[in-house]
Amino acid sequence: MNRLRAIGKWFDDRLALGRLYDQSLGHRIPFSSSSWWYVFGSATLLCLIIQLVTGVCLALVYVPSPDQAYASLEYLDYEQPLGWYLRGLHFWGSNFMVALVTIHLVQIFLFGAYKYPRELTWMVGSALFLATIGMAFTGQTMRFDQDAYWGVEIIVSILGRLPLVGEAATHLLQGGPIVGAETLSRFFTLHVFVIPATLIGLLVIHIRLVLVLGISEYPEPGKVVDPDTYADEYEQVVERTGIRLMPEGGGKDLVFSALVLMAIVLCAALIGPKIPNGPADPSLIHTVPRPDFYFLSLFAAFALMPPDLESFVIVYVMPLAVVLLFAVPFISRGGERHPSRRPGAVILVILVLTGLFTLAWEGVVSPWSPEMDAWSGVPVQPRFVEDRSPLEHMGATVLQAKQCRNCHALDGAGGKRGPDLAGVATRLTEDQLIRQVLQGGGNMPAYGNHLSPHEVSALVAFLTTLHAEGQAPARDSASWARSARESPGSR
Amino acid sequence: MKEKPLLLAFVLVAALGCDSLPGRPDPADRYQRPSEVEDFALLYATHCSGCHGADGRNGPATNLGDPLYAALADPVEVRRVIAEGVAGTPMPVFAQTGGGTLTEKQLNILAEGLKAGLNGSESASRLRGAPPLTAKAGVRGQASTAQLARGEQAYATYCARCHGAEGTGGASGGSLLEPAFLGLVSDQALRTTVIVGREDLGMPGWQGAGERPMTAAEVSDVVAWLGSHRSSAGDAASGVSIK
Amino acid sequence: MEPHEHPPLPPAVPPVTRRDFLFKLGLGLNVIAAGFVGIPIVGYIASALFKPKAQQAWIALGEIAQFPPGETRLASYRNPFTTPWDGATADIPCWVRRKPDGDFQVFAINCAHLGCPVRWFPQSGLFMCPCHGGVYYEDGSRASGPPPRGLFEYAFRVRRDRLEVRGGQTPNLSEPV
Repeated sequence: MNRLRAIGKWFDDRLALGRLYDQSLGHRIPFSSSSWWYVFGSATLLCLIIQLVTGVCLALVYVPSPDQAYASLEYLDYEQPLGWYLRGLHFWGSNFMVALVTIHLVQIFLFGAYKYPRELTWMVGSALFLATIGMAFTGQTMRFDQDAYWGVEIIVSILGRLPLVGEAATHLLQGGPIVGAETLSRFFTLHVFVIPATLIGLLVIHIRLVLVLGISEYPEPGKVVDPDTYADEYEQVVERTGIRLMPEGGGKDLVFSALVLMAIVLCAALIGPKIPNGPADPSLIHTVPRPDFYFLSLFAAFALMPPDLESFVIVYVMPLAVVLLFAVPFISRGGERHPSRRPGAVILVILVLTGLFTLAWEGVVSPWSPEMDAWSGVPVQPRFVEDRSPLEHMGATVLQAKQCRNCHALDGAGGKRGPDLAGVATRLTEDQLIRQVLQGGGNMPAYGNHLSPHEVSALVAFLTTLHAEGQAPARDSASWARSARESPGSR
Repeated sequence: MKEKPLLLAFVLVAALGCDSLPGRPDPADRYQRPSEVEDFALLYATHCSGCHGADGRNGPATNLGDPLYAALADPVEVRRVIAEGVAGTPMPVFAQTGGGTLTEKQLNILAEGLKAGLNGSESASRLRGAPPLTAKAGVRGQASTAQLARGEQAYATYCARCHGAEGTGGASGGSLLEPAFLGLVSDQALRTTVIVGREDLGMPGWQGAGERPMTAAEVSDVVAWLGSHRSSAGDAASGVSIK
Repeated sequence: MEPHEHPPLPPAVPPVTRRDFLFKLGLGLNVIAAGFVGIPIVGYIASALFKPKAQQAWIALGEIAQFPPGETRLASYRNPFTTPWDGATADIPCWVRRKPDGDFQVFAINCAHLGCPVRWFPQSGLFMCPCHGGVYYEDGSRASGPPPRGLFEYAFRVRRDRLEVRGGQTPNLSEPV
């Protein structure tokens, strides 16, 4: 034992590990900061470490060139022993990292921990958040499948809407005027060198700031941050109640990190990695590109916002949102920290998160997208076929063959872009149906040039049968009046 | 020293055991290019089921799922129709060479699969006297007056019971003479339906329509008679547009 | 400048020592050396901006016999900036519409909204986009959905019965081909 101690001392004399410990893991934090609310930062760090280790492992096999990338992924998935597991860890690690960094940011915001003197910590943290998002996007591109290819095209189209610099920005990102080999190399370089290096550099500053300024104490209602007295008060709190981060204060961090790690392991082992959805071959147009989860809300926003607003949002609103994120400590300075005294902050968080999750859910369902194969691959349900005349059958066939089903569901089956047609006859009269089919309108294209009169007659004959049993089809008021005149007494 | 192999074995089992976890990607889920799909059921489901029904029955378009259809169909003709479509009807072109999405191989698979039958194939013993499913290339509207008279007679014998004496709809069958219906249906589709029937919708085929099975001539005559009601107005070619 | 016209140094400033001089010299030399490293790096990265000059070339799309009048077919052209490791991304698809009168229209595959691949449906005469539901008529004009304009069209010409396009660039709103 004495021997061991001597060896330890030998190293300590040279590396000054004891002093390093006192200033880092052993530094004193307020007792109140050892809270289950304060575990998200360290868990995000754990995710970063997992990503670095698994990322390096994946780079042993992955080939960042368009002709080989997809094959090397399939090799990882199906041939390299445990390649799929490493991919799973990396994929789920990224999901958890994005989630945890977001939770960390929200918690810091709700607790007012960005206020004096930690403004810079918040700003560096915001940069870390953006870098993490950047990692997520470039990482999705590494899969170099159809989602990745068209995801790049989407980003390029977004950049292309920027005035003046749009062309230069797209060419810089693509490594030329068109997506190709250099595009993947650029994304690979960003994903593997540039952003991770930035991330680590920022992280060093972030941790340095945390150590220099101390972890914020747990907020108390009624306690106000006053720049003139804060430093002294904090020092007193640490003096009075301070405990060392490790081992006394960090137990919760350790437990939570271990839980996160186990969750990642379980997800990787039981659900596995995201399978690439086909090679990035642009001629494979039978594709329905969707981004990874974290970008679904953005994806949905671009489908749902009024088209005239999109360029405005890209050019002004999105950069402004980033500026606002960095400016939070300067917009809300001093004052109370506890969320119960900052209802505005709580409402803002609820609004933003609800908005993001609602949009993400819309992105999963994407009701605005035509279901491209519905016309030939989603059958007309038998109950819309039975008890109908040959003409109505022909109409149902026309409905399918003219791709109406791509946008219109029949009782839930089919595209969700236009209204469900089961029951359409109770909403529109025959004349209105004809008009709608021929002229379009209300976001429906006009079919006048692509339907013969026979096709229109057949289609409308079928559509007029689409009303629930016992529910009368729609009629215009004139026909109602006419029939009332002809058979008085009956409705 | 004894523990070493044991430990090694444990690590190996742990590491290789992981390779059989549920998260491991199944090669069966591997992405397949649409042009490489060679599974008949999948090809049928994505390209045909929309109009012809999930199992070839109960769809609005021609009944492909009847065992009788499978037994009588000519695979070469079936392949041609899938590849080239039927002009003037909703049946689209599917061959890649014609702007569709199916490869030559996929067309063969579909034709063979339909011949084999979506729901099996009728045994040969029940096919005796069946009219040929594919008519000799008939030309629209050139039937003789005598044939039309025979066709009308055949209609009255076999069809009128359900479709009405005039052909304009009856007890359990809708009108066959709607100009839009006749304008969009091919003679071959009429013929297929007369012969195979729509058992899924309660319509008998050539055997069950009357007291005795229909003859090949009667089938041709009744199709010719139905076709003679086509009007030239409103064909696909004429098109409409309202401004 | 004549040496004797040089104004005398004010006496308050301490004389330049050798250390000061070396420090400033070292700093200066490093700045110059950094320029030799840094400026080429910027040029290397930004070279992507100067590629478009080469795109003036016409790229073959195929024999015109491949495109029957009245139909719209998928074709692809070779990316003029292709590298040997481009794989499938070297061939850029586009839709070629041959009007019934024999004239052509060549549409970019990219939706004018956010660049997703539009698909042609001959039966209904529509291009549909799988991402945000942009729909276009057969002549490329916008039918419905969020696109701010019709499909992007490539310039084309017919030479010796071959259709050629001026491609080589992903179209977007700031470079509509």
